[in-house]
Amino acid sequence: MNLQMQNIGHSYEDLQVLDGIDLHIDEGQIVCIVGPSGCGKSTLLRLIGGLEVADSGTVLMDGEPPESCLNPLTYVFQDFALLPWRTVEKNISLVLEDHPLSPAARATIIDDVLRRTHLSEFKDVFPRQLSGGMKQRVAIARALAVKPAVMLMDEPLSALDSQTRELLMEDLVDLWGRERFTAVYVTHNLSEAVRLGHRIVVLSRRPGRICEVVDIDTPLDQRDTANPELAQKVKILWQLLHDEARAADRELANV
Amino acid sequence: MKHRLNATWHRSLIAGSALALIALGTLAQAAEVVNLGALRFTSHAAGYIAYEKGYFRDQGIDLKFKFFQAAQPVAVAIASGDVDFGVTALTGGFFNLAGKGALQVIGGVWHEEKGMNGSAILVSNKAFDAGFKTVDQFPGKSIGITQLGSSFHYMAGQIAEANGFDFKEIKLKPLQKVGAIIGALKSGQVDSFIIAPHIAKGLVNAGAAKQIGWLYDYAPYQVTTVFTSTKNTKEKSDLVGRFMKAYGRGVADFRRVMLDQDKDPAATEAMTKLIHKYVYASRPYAKAAPSIKSGAINLNAGNALDVGDVDKQLKWFQAQKLVSSGFSVRDIVDLSYVQAYNIPN
Amino acid sequence: MSEQPPSPASPPRPTPHPVPFRGGGFNPRPLGIVGPLVFVGLIGLWELGSQTGVIGALFLPAPSEAFAALNELFQSGFLWKHLSASLQRLAMGWSLGSLAGVLVGLSIGLFSLARAGLVPVVSALFPIPKIALLPLFIIWFGIGEGSKVATLFFGSFFPTVIATYGGVDAVDRGLIRMGQSFNLSWLSIVRKIVLPGALPAILSGCRISASIAIILLVAAEMIGAEFGVGAYILLAGNLMAMDQLIAGVVLLSSMGLIVAFLIGKAERRLLRWRR
Repeated sequence: MNLQMQNIGHSYEDLQVLDGIDLHIDEGQIVCIVGPSGCGKSTLLRLIGGLEVADSGTVLMDGEPPESCLNPLTYVFQDFALLPWRTVEKNISLVLEDHPLSPAARATIIDDVLRRTHLSEFKDVFPRQLSGGMKQRVAIARALAVKPAVMLMDEPLSALDSQTRELLMEDLVDLWGRERFTAVYVTHNLSEAVRLGHRIVVLSRRPGRICEVVDIDTPLDQRDTANPELAQKVKILWQLLHDEARAADRELANV
Repeated sequence: MKHRLNATWHRSLIAGSALALIALGTLAQAAEVVNLGALRFTSHAAGYIAYEKGYFRDQGIDLKFKFFQAAQPVAVAIASGDVDFGVTALTGGFFNLAGKGALQVIGGVWHEEKGMNGSAILVSNKAFDAGFKTVDQFPGKSIGITQLGSSFHYMAGQIAEANGFDFKEIKLKPLQKVGAIIGALKSGQVDSFIIAPHIAKGLVNAGAAKQIGWLYDYAPYQVTTVFTSTKNTKEKSDLVGRFMKAYGRGVADFRRVMLDQDKDPAATEAMTKLIHKYVYASRPYAKAAPSIKSGAINLNAGNALDVGDVDKQLKWFQAQKLVSSGFSVRDIVDLSYVQAYNIPN
Repeated sequence: MSEQPPSPASPPRPTPHPVPFRGGGFNPRPLGIVGPLVFVGLIGLWELGSQTGVIGALFLPAPSEAFAALNELFQSGFLWKHLSASLQRLAMGWSLGSLAGVLVGLSIGLFSLARAGLVPVVSALFPIPKIALLPLFIIWFGIGEGSKVATLFFGSFFPTVIATYGGVDAVDRGLIRMGQSFNLSWLSIVRKIVLPGALPAILSGCRISASIAIILLVAAEMIGAEFGVGAYILLAGNLMAMDQLIAGVVLLSSMGLIVAFLIGKAERRLLRWRR
C-alpha cells in the first residue's frame, strides 16, 4: 500500500504550519522527514494517520493493505505512550482486544512480536521498571502486533540517550532487513535520517514546505558511521537546513 | 444678659455632672455584677420583670443577662464560672453536672399544677384521624423529643408511668430541636409531642395538631428551677440570698398580673409589653402578645421548691441509667434560700 | 602580624585536608517508634494529670475513665448495636454517594455538555454544609434511615465528583491519542485508559469523602436515631457524660483509621503499577 499526499496545507488559528505538501510514500521504504523545529513535521504525521484533518489537500491510501493488517496506519510515539498500569504483555494485548481474535491467537501474536523485538523475558514487567530504550522497544512491538501497512514514527528516538539511540537504530535496521516495513519517520536528527531513510524529505521553516528530497541508495545494513558517502549526505542536508534552522530559532513562539 | 445666663447654665451643668458622677461611683461600688443565664421564653419572665423594675438594683446587684439558645449550655456555663445563676429545666445533663458537685438547685420556678396553664399533650392530625384520641393509646405510638435525657424524655416517661404501661412501648424520636419536632408533628412523621402552652395553643388554633390532654393530669411537675454554682452558695451566700429576694419579687408580680390576666387588663398589657422586650422581640408586638399571654405558666410562689419532685426526677433518670447513681437529691439542693415543700424522708 | 605585607614569595602551603561535608540534614528519615511513643506519652501525662487532680474531673475525664466507659459499652453489648447501625449507614450513604460521584464526575470529564451544565451546579452545592440542609432532608426523606443516608450520600457525592473529573482531566492526552491511533473503541478508551488513569485521583477522593462521611455521621444521627456512634456521642454530650463522650470519639477516630487503612490497602493493590 502506498500513501499519497496532495497539496496538504494546515494552520492552527492564524498560524500556518504546513503549505502545499505533495509527497509519495512507497511500500517497503522508510521516508524520513527532517526540518527545523516548529516546521510542522509532527503535524504532518498526525495528518497522515488521521489524528487530525488537514485544512486543505488530502492524504490518499493507494491500494489495499494486506489482509492480515489490523491497523493500517500505526504510530510509534516519542514518549512511548505505554499504559503504566499494564505490563508489557498487557500493553500489547490492549491494541488487540478490540479485534475479533481468540485468546490463543492473541497470545500467539504477542509472543511473536515480543520474540521479534527480543522482549520475551520482560513480558510481565511494568513500564516503570524499564529503561527508555526498552520502553520504545515495547512500543515498537505493540505497533508490529497490529501488522501495520505503514508505521508512522514521531521522533521515536528523541527521548533516549545517544548510546541507546545507536542500539535502537541497529535494531530498526535489522527489523527492516527482515520485514521490509513501510515507515514515515519524523526526526530532527540528521544522522538518524541518514542511517534509516531511503528517502529524506527536508521541510522549510514554518510554514513547512518541501524544500528538497534526497534519495540515499546505500542499503541500510551498509550504512555505518565511517561511510564517507553518508557523511557527505549529512553535510549537504545540514547546509540545506542551516539557514532555515537559524531563522526558525530566532522566531517568537506562537507570536 | 445672655452671657450671664450662659454662665449660670454652665455652672449648674458642671455641678450636675459632678453629682451624677458621684452617684454613679457609689452605685458602681455597691452594686455587684451578677450574670443570669437566660433563655427568651415566657417562663423566664420573672427575671426580666425584676430587672426592668429595678428589684436587682434595690438589692445592690448589677444584673447582666447572658442569653442562650438552649438550656444545656447554661448549666455548663455556670459550672465553668462564666455565669452565676440559671433557670432551666432539670435534665440528665444537669443532674450529671450537679452530681459532680458543680451545681446547686436553690429554688423552684415553673411548676406544673393541676388546672393551671401548662404543657399540653398534642398528637398529629394524621395520628388523631387514625384513632389516637386518648392518652391511654400511647403504647406503640411515637413521640418527638429533643434529646434523650431531656425534660421531653422525662415527660414521656411520666405519662407511661402514670398510665401504667411499659415505657419501651413508646417510640422515642430524638430530633434535637423544638422546630424540627413541630415540623415532624405537622407532617405526621411523629405521632405526638408534649410542649409548653404558647406553642401548643398556636399549633392547635392553626389546626396543625390536636390536643388530647394536659401533662398536669398525670403528675405535678417541677419543670424549671433556679440554680447556681456550689462555689456561690458557699462563698457568696449573702449575694445568693439577695438575688433570690429580687427574683422572688419578679415572680410575685408575674403571678399577680399574668396568672389572672382579666383582672387588670391595663397591667397585663404593660407587663406583656415589658416581657416583649426580651421574648419574641423580633416579632411585632401585636403578633407576639397572644403568645406571651398564653405562655403565662404557673411559677412557684416565693420560688418555693418541690423537693419531692426533684427527687423523683433524679431517681427516674438514675433508673434509666442516664445519670450516675452515686448521689441523691440532698447533694444537689440547697434549701437555705427559699421555702421547700414535699420534702422526702 | 597583620601589619606585615604578604610575602612576595609563594605563600606557605596549608597541609592537605579533606573537603568538609556540607550535604547533611533536610532528609526526613522514617522513625516508626516515635509516633506511638508520643501518643502513649501524651495519654500517660493526661492520666497522671487526672489522677493527681491537676486536670479537674469536670473538665476532662481521665483516659482510664473513658476506657472504662468503652468497656462498659462493650460489656453491655450496645457497642455492636451502635457500630452496626453506623456502619450500615456509612456503607449505604458513602458507597452510593461515591458511585454516583464517580459516574457524574466521569461524565463531566468526558462530555462538554455535562461539564458546562454540571460544574457550576456542583461548585454551587459543594460548599453548602449538609447539616444546614438537614431539615429539608427530613421533609424529603423522613426521620427514618432515609435522611441519614441522604446526608452521608450528599456529603460524599460532591468531593468524589470533583476528584473524579479532576482525575479524568489529568489523564495523559497522549495515551488517549494512542488509543485512538490504534482504533480502540470509545468504550475501550474510557474503560482501559481514562478510568485507570483517573483511578489515583478517584481513590484519594474516596479517602476524603470517607472522612467527610464519618464527620457527618454525628450530624446524620442527630435526627431520630436510637443507635449509632453519632447518636451515642450526642447523648453523652446531652448528659454531660464526658467519659462516654471521649469513648465515642475514640470509636469515631478508630473508624476513621480503619477506613483509611482499607483505602490504603485498596490503593496499594489497585495502584501497584505506580510504585
